[in-house]
Amino acid sequence: MRRVRIGVVGRMIGVLIVLGIAVFPIYWMFTTALSSDADLFAAQPRLVPDFGQFGVFVDALADGPTLTWLRNSTVVAVGTTALSIVLGIPLAYALSRFSFRGKVAVGLLLLMTQMLPEALMVVPLFSLYRRFELLDSLVGLVLANTAFVLPIVALVLKGAIDGVPRELEEAARVDGSRPLTVLLRINVPIIAPAIAAAAVIAFFHAWNEYVFAVTFIFNKALQPASVGLAGFVGEQGTAIQTIMAVAFMFTLPAVAFYLFAQKYVVSGMTAGAVKG
Amino acid sequence: MSAERAGADVALKRRRRSPLGSRWTPYVFLLPAAAYIFVFQAVPLVQEIYLSFTRTNLLNPTRSVWVGLENYEKIFASAGFQQTLLTTLVYVIACVVGAVGSGLGVALLLNGRFPGRGIARALVTVPWAAPGIATALIATWMLNAQYGIITRVLRALGVDVGESGILDNPDLALTAILATTIWQLFPFVAVVLLSALQSVPAELTEAAEMDGANRWWTFRVVTWQVIKPTVGLVALLMTIWSLRRFELIWLMTRGGPLGTTRTLVIDLYSQAFDSKQLGNAAAIGMVGIVIALIVVVGSRLVSRAAERGA
Repeated sequence: MRRVRIGVVGRMIGVLIVLGIAVFPIYWMFTTALSSDADLFAAQPRLVPDFGQFGVFVDALADGPTLTWLRNSTVVAVGTTALSIVLGIPLAYALSRFSFRGKVAVGLLLLMTQMLPEALMVVPLFSLYRRFELLDSLVGLVLANTAFVLPIVALVLKGAIDGVPRELEEAARVDGSRPLTVLLRINVPIIAPAIAAAAVIAFFHAWNEYVFAVTFIFNKALQPASVGLAGFVGEQGTAIQTIMAVAFMFTLPAVAFYLFAQKYVVSGMTAGAVKG
Repeated sequence: MSAERAGADVALKRRRRSPLGSRWTPYVFLLPAAAYIFVFQAVPLVQEIYLSFTRTNLLNPTRSVWVGLENYEKIFASAGFQQTLLTTLVYVIACVVGAVGSGLGVALLLNGRFPGRGIARALVTVPWAAPGIATALIATWMLNAQYGIITRVLRALGVDVGESGILDNPDLALTAILATTIWQLFPFVAVVLLSALQSVPAELTEAAEMDGANRWWTFRVVTWQVIKPTVGLVALLMTIWSLRRFELIWLMTRGGPLGTTRTLVIDLYSQAFDSKQLGNAAAIGMVGIVIALIVVVGSRLVSRAAERGA
């Protein structure tokens, strides 16, 4: 009995250390944003946030391009989410419910896309975009991001459709409904939570994306926040508190929504690798 | 296919008029996404393969000259590229070992009873959820040569990190990038392995312990056997992801100092957009893809052989 209790205490100490490592950098981002210059550059840095400095968040939003960045990121992320869900649902349905020639090839293709680095695809897409005037356009970013997140979205949705009992569909089919009607009326409402999770994945894939955005966008008014934030690296003019405040506001929604979608993300991604 | 499924299919075939009877139905559902992936992934990939056999300048890409294998000969002959390959190898292996090792440790830690377990499991995923850009920014600040908290702590402990700071120190930059990458990855590994650990039958571990096996022995003969396929799968994912990781390294060091953190993807991007040599960049990219393919195919063969052996 005694040994068991010590085991629990030891385990809790271990867990606390791990959580400290996991959360500290984000905490430090927040604390740095809320530090005065004097605290920041003192011999002994301040270890807790100084809430008297909270104006830095307000100023970061009010002055400068932060709001434009966040708006552009939101536009790209919403577009990517909508397009990848619309394309992903039928793909997932085909993979889940039908056996057909070339199914293995489709699976392999989806795995292949996981191996292609964005940094490689950016060159051919650049010349394609130049021809079709998609450079300097948020639509261009939506199209490129969708290509990379679509396989993950489809695999998450496929996993969910696999779990829908076929009997439910068969009842509708006997009534003479077409396959698309069955999908939209029967499957989509049942897998709504998985669709929400896939939407979170797609949204934050686009929200975080950097390579395409930094290569395809030249107009500063169209920069998303990832590029804007990256522009702070090596630049001297902006106060570190402002940088950390913007970075924190950029991080918070991603972390909050991922905590909600985590279960589906993990199962979808591992399923993708297994099936390929 | 199960007997009932086969029966159902026969029944469906008999009802020829049924909308599901058509053999084209799956392709109709497949078409939009397949066309999309074809245009935005397959076509660019083929173009990239073609580019790797040409001399093409970013500023004038329509005038490209077919040079055969010249780009490949050039990159393999260059000492810089050999360093890049070695760095990539070290980076990928260290990422996989570090992330899988620490992730497994954390999964074992979380796979027990203790108060606050649900909160702990959620909070541990924070590093994985944080955007890469934000991670690069906070890591760069924490490693700042004068005021970074990590630099300060290391100096207080008497570690010599050099005047110019960790990220500008050729001996330490790669380690710092690795630590940041592993911080980002370990939660994913931990969450996936935790769900695998929960499928280990409790009766088996209890039986082993009843038989007087110690914890390590129980882990090896029971737990490890169950989670082994998942560990392999996660290691494969970590390998593929690490081969293509870009923004974290690019933003923290741009491949420097002295090329010590220049992986294949960093090299290809700077060849394309700094040196404007699209042909070279494409050839470097192809080397990366071939490595990834070898890893994927190799791991399939190994897991097949393991299945047959078992």
